[in-house]
Amino acid sequence: MNFSVIKALLKKDFSLFLQNRFYMLMTIVGLVFYIIIFFIMPNKVDEQLKAGIYAPVMPPAFSILVADPASSLTSYASLEEAKAAVENGDSQVAIVLPADIMQTWASGGKPEVEIYYASSAPIELRDAVISLVKELSYIQTGQSLTFDTNEQVMGQDMLGEQIPMRNRMVPLLAIFILMMEILSLASLIAEENEQGTARALLVTPMTVPELFAAKGIIGVGMALGQVVLFMLLVGGFNSQPLITLGVLLLGSLMVTGLGFLLASLTKSLMSVTAWGMLLFIILAIPGMGIMFPGLISNWAKVIPSYYLTDTVNRVVNYGADLSVVGGNLLILVGFTAVIVTAGIVVLRRRYQ
Amino acid sequence: MSQISISVEKLSYWYGDLKAVNQISFEVAQGEILGFLGPNGAGKTTTQKMLTGQLRPKDGRATLLGFDVAKDTEEIHRRIGICFEQTNLYEQMTALENLQLFADLFGVNNFNGYALLKRVGLAGREKDKVAGYSKGMKQRLMVARSLVNTPSILFMDEPTSGLDPVSSESIRDIILEERKRGATIFLTTHDMWEADKLCDRVAFINEGSIAALDAPVNLKQQYGKRSLIAKVKSANGQLENREIALDTGKTAEEVSKLLSSERVLTLHSEEATLEDIFIKITGRRLTE
Repeated sequence: MNFSVIKALLKKDFSLFLQNRFYMLMTIVGLVFYIIIFFIMPNKVDEQLKAGIYAPVMPPAFSILVADPASSLTSYASLEEAKAAVENGDSQVAIVLPADIMQTWASGGKPEVEIYYASSAPIELRDAVISLVKELSYIQTGQSLTFDTNEQVMGQDMLGEQIPMRNRMVPLLAIFILMMEILSLASLIAEENEQGTARALLVTPMTVPELFAAKGIIGVGMALGQVVLFMLLVGGFNSQPLITLGVLLLGSLMVTGLGFLLASLTKSLMSVTAWGMLLFIILAIPGMGIMFPGLISNWAKVIPSYYLTDTVNRVVNYGADLSVVGGNLLILVGFTAVIVTAGIVVLRRRYQ
Repeated sequence: MSQISISVEKLSYWYGDLKAVNQISFEVAQGEILGFLGPNGAGKTTTQKMLTGQLRPKDGRATLLGFDVAKDTEEIHRRIGICFEQTNLYEQMTALENLQLFADLFGVNNFNGYALLKRVGLAGREKDKVAGYSKGMKQRLMVARSLVNTPSILFMDEPTSGLDPVSSESIRDIILEERKRGATIFLTTHDMWEADKLCDRVAFINEGSIAALDAPVNLKQQYGKRSLIAKVKSANGQLENREIALDTGKTAEEVSKLLSSERVLTLHSEEATLEDIFIKITGRRLTE
């Protein structure tokens, strides 16, 4: 490796990046935009109880509460409607009373009450809801402990792990910033192929590994620089800074590999943009899952960015240590190694 | 022949079933300008790509300055300069930055970009972005870039294609200066007049094979028609051409007879052009 050659290539790439008005603008505007989004998002958890109830036969004690305009207990017409309200976020909890509740109480039995929680519902809600049902049942029957419960969480169970929306957005915004660099790097390479300048470089003493080293440094450097700046501004290094830095470095390497792959599979700047947007959407899915728990299920684990966003989320928002995110990091290292290797091999074939 | 710069032995390349270059062999001496002529698709670019290490030959062997093109590409790249047919400059960078980048890649110490740009007629525009250059200026910058490492062998692919006469002439002057310096020049061109004027030898390549390789003057002698053409005004006032063959032994007598018997308006020798010879040898036009 000739470092003066790498230095010359880096100088050239950095200069081209700075002179590419579109990507320069996108980078600055994107970074500012993400920071603004973070700060305008609520920094508090909404603790107001929004509950719903579905009862084919509504016991009188429950009817009184539902009818009370001061209560936030909404009555739903069907079980499906009640569950949908929880999934949509209209209610944080849905209480479902069995059709034979009055008969069961009359015969001295314990009816089974189903309770559906939103995955984002606070842990305190569980006790509150049980107390509410217990109180209403007592009013109705004059006895305590007159029911059994069957509780279910809709979507990913995050009961008791509520964090403000802005913090939930951090992994998504971080992956957005990293993904912008896929487009920037792929465009930089595609532009060189399209304009034939890569051909001119390849007939100098510069070797292909030196070319990859320079592209890799510029890709990782630009991605890591921006995401670190963002994390510093939003307090993303407040817990486990080394693990956070490590995972962001892996993310930067991964997007560099994806940039190589994208550049090698596309022939023009237009196709880089088109395929890049598709990639952008796919890679953003795990981040969406953190924003909106329950939106996605286990299939998202096949997306490499899942391990990046999930690790950032656990470390930044919950202070997870290596014992928690170690597995994630190993998988992320594996994905990154495969993507970077594939990117280099495919792009190298194109150059040769 | 002096020291050999380029040696090619039965070099071949094919794309699937299509033989782009078929067992061509030739040598180019140091300080020689070899014109490589042929229509589109004849195999010129594939040959140049193999010689410059951009394509690995499928068969045969070629050496540049003793280095094998298939194995010693890095050594070869240090010693050659390439002026591509298509402009491939960093348009958002200045002329000086373009040259400095390549000087850095070649490891040229104390590189003087200003002097090189002055030499190609771009003095005063050194710090302008290339995007604002005319086609002729870009082509001159391409030539300058190919000279950054003071190459021993210079590959020039259609260096004057589409340029105005002044730009073309300045590039031809640079080619001749480079030969004077001792550089070997491999010139690919469609322009027969240019090849005739610049090249010590020309190779006609057709359908992947070399159809003829010799000095232009020899090719003209071998394939051309040597004659004098006189334009005369006949008795009835009509303009007519009279042809007198050269090298017949009776030339002087026939010229004298013509001058005394007819009103001669112009008299000039007629030689076959390289284009004529190319058609004669290959049955194809260069511009096909």
